[in-house]
Amino acid sequence: MTPENDGPGRREFLAALAASGCAACLAATGWSPALAEDTADAGSLVPTGDAGLVATPARWWKKKDGLKVECGLCPRRCVVADIERGMCGVRENRGGDYVTLVHSRPCSMHLDPVEKKPFFHVLPGTPSLSLAAAGCNFECRFCQNWEIAQARPEQVKSVALPPEAVAAIARRNNAPTIACTYTEPVVWSEYVYDIAAAGRKAGLRTLMVSNGYIEEEPLRDLCTVLGAVKIDLKAFTGKFYKETCHGEMKPVLETLKRLKKHGMWTEIVVLIVPTLNDDPGEIREMSRFVHGELGPEVPIHFTRFHPSFRLMNLPSTPVPTIDRAVETARAAGLQFVYAGNVPGHPAESTWCPGCNRRLIHRVGLAVLENRITGGRCPDCRRKIPGIWA
Amino acid sequence: MSERERHSVDDERRRVLRTLVLGGLAATPLARAFGEGASGGSGGGGVPAPAAGAGSAAAGSGSGASPSVRAPVVARAHRAGVLSEGSAPDPRKLAAAVGSAVARAGGEDTPVAALRRLFRPNDVVGIKVNCIAGRGLAPHPDLVGRLTGWLQEAGVPARNIIIWDRTDRELAGAGYTVTRGGDGVRVIGTNDAYETTPREWGPTGSCFAKLLVEDLTALINVGVLKDHDLAGVSLGLKNWYGAINNPNKCHDDGAAPYIPHLAASPLIREKLRLTVIDGLRGQCHGGPGRSPRWSWPYEGVLASTDPVAIESVGYREIEDRRRAVGLKSLAEEKRAPRWIETAAKLGLGESDLRRIRLEDV
Repeated sequence: MTPENDGPGRREFLAALAASGCAACLAATGWSPALAEDTADAGSLVPTGDAGLVATPARWWKKKDGLKVECGLCPRRCVVADIERGMCGVRENRGGDYVTLVHSRPCSMHLDPVEKKPFFHVLPGTPSLSLAAAGCNFECRFCQNWEIAQARPEQVKSVALPPEAVAAIARRNNAPTIACTYTEPVVWSEYVYDIAAAGRKAGLRTLMVSNGYIEEEPLRDLCTVLGAVKIDLKAFTGKFYKETCHGEMKPVLETLKRLKKHGMWTEIVVLIVPTLNDDPGEIREMSRFVHGELGPEVPIHFTRFHPSFRLMNLPSTPVPTIDRAVETARAAGLQFVYAGNVPGHPAESTWCPGCNRRLIHRVGLAVLENRITGGRCPDCRRKIPGIWA
Repeated sequence: MSERERHSVDDERRRVLRTLVLGGLAATPLARAFGEGASGGSGGGGVPAPAAGAGSAAAGSGSGASPSVRAPVVARAHRAGVLSEGSAPDPRKLAAAVGSAVARAGGEDTPVAALRRLFRPNDVVGIKVNCIAGRGLAPHPDLVGRLTGWLQEAGVPARNIIIWDRTDRELAGAGYTVTRGGDGVRVIGTNDAYETTPREWGPTGSCFAKLLVEDLTALINVGVLKDHDLAGVSLGLKNWYGAINNPNKCHDDGAAPYIPHLAASPLIREKLRLTVIDGLRGQCHGGPGRSPRWSWPYEGVLASTDPVAIESVGYREIEDRRRAVGLKSLAEEKRAPRWIETAAKLGLGESDLRRIRLEDV
């Protein structure tokens, strides 16, 4: 059976959507009602407000002349004067000391399938306690979660939730992973680090879903405690990064190479936006980079764009465009190429590069079948890269 | 169209024409204000720094100005001793300074007459203050209090006057008493009350304060006279960063792409009637936070209906002070406020000091 001719039946498709709670449709903002009890001790989700901001000493910065500081968290390296904040809006200079305003203040928390992140090679079919604090160091015009990612911490609702409490909630809900996601975890790296450390003590893995716009030192530190990382590779041109994301591409590519160096399990997601980053030549170059620098076994997900935030004048990505990206990446030698936001697409499933048989059958975010055994294909015994247990 | 509507349209047309006349129709480069051979070079990205003392006297209808267009007026009122160290402003001197500046800016003999000319009784007037730096480097509540009093005398009901900034905390920190209800003048922080969908305004998009979008029909911008480490200066135009939810996204490239375009957004441009700069104390370096070392008793107030002209004058005042205390110019520090010229190019006002009538009152 080839990936191209295997689609689910209608009934199977609907059942899978129901099983996954139509998770693709769930907003990333807010709080899962199912988790309300777990966070009761922390109080209800309330507007953080100006008075609710709690300053925690930041890491990864240095003092500059006068009362200025230089943030060392991301390649932007904001030089921040007293009373000002960095571009992320969540790190503030207070009298020459740099603080983070989002440590232990998540504004969103859900129990998602790990496939929603998406991680397809990390404990398939398991729930992941997913949370976010406010802020981002990019400004993507298509941001899906802009209400929290492009907000300052005082503009969102949040609760006080220390890292140990996050780990405890994950344990209570039988989630083997904690995912720092929805916004940009890089800008709340202190909280990510402490969550991951607390999670480790509780026997949990912590996942980071990031744009990869991070400096070497904090990345190195995070890699000592994280379990896996997913990088949003926004495009493969500096122009797109600059004009559409208010960022740069080169540091993201450096991050991908560093993650490989650190031995961190990494998956890549590319949101294909019609006319802006869907050129087959660009996809080819990107795939060659991944193949050459990271290896053919790095999973790459091409997902459909839907109009959002400040990019409302473009249509949703046509499915044939996703098909073409998938084919281009495969032609470049990548072995685990996925289609995202196309429920029922055969490329949602994992196929063995050795014998071309289906290993994990996915529809939407639901895993209908997982045949991987001991990290290998049960048919040809080929080792399948990932975190399976 | 009803009689009342037609009257309103006529009023609006008159207002626009008057603004055009007062503001000057031509927008010319700031560079020309300082002359070709101005000292300081163009280290800040192409905008020459002002020469020492340039334009310190009223430029009048100086060379280059079109004879058919009146130059915009920036009124400058100094009152020695208006603010003693560590004490509240002297009420009499403060009233004289603010009153004379506002009166001249509005082209009238008294501040009440000027405000009557600029505002209608049914306006909801937002007075945007800049309180982020706290007491000592925020508009003095006593100064703003004078404006609210004169506005009422000019026919604007107290309940239609709102002193406004980003958050209640910042307002309180600058000495304002947050007051959301009642029939009196209100003092309101936006807090988290922003629009729920972003709107584009040039280089980026933002959610604007609901108060600005839904309630206010007219604006007075009350800024301070201070240095800004990235933007060069923070006077009036930069104060509009306090109207959007994401000012942190707007500081790249010396804020040059952002400040003028934000001020040009219709929500601000079409409502702004008057800019006042509280310069009782200025700060020529170390901003935007308070830095007593670089603070000096400017003992003055600037006022203008031209938001760009007042910016040019304020910038020059800061450069003069920097020179006086031995600091490099902002241009030499590569943070000259190039965006003032951009604001002029966008038609917001006049940036050329030679075309600005600086009137000491």
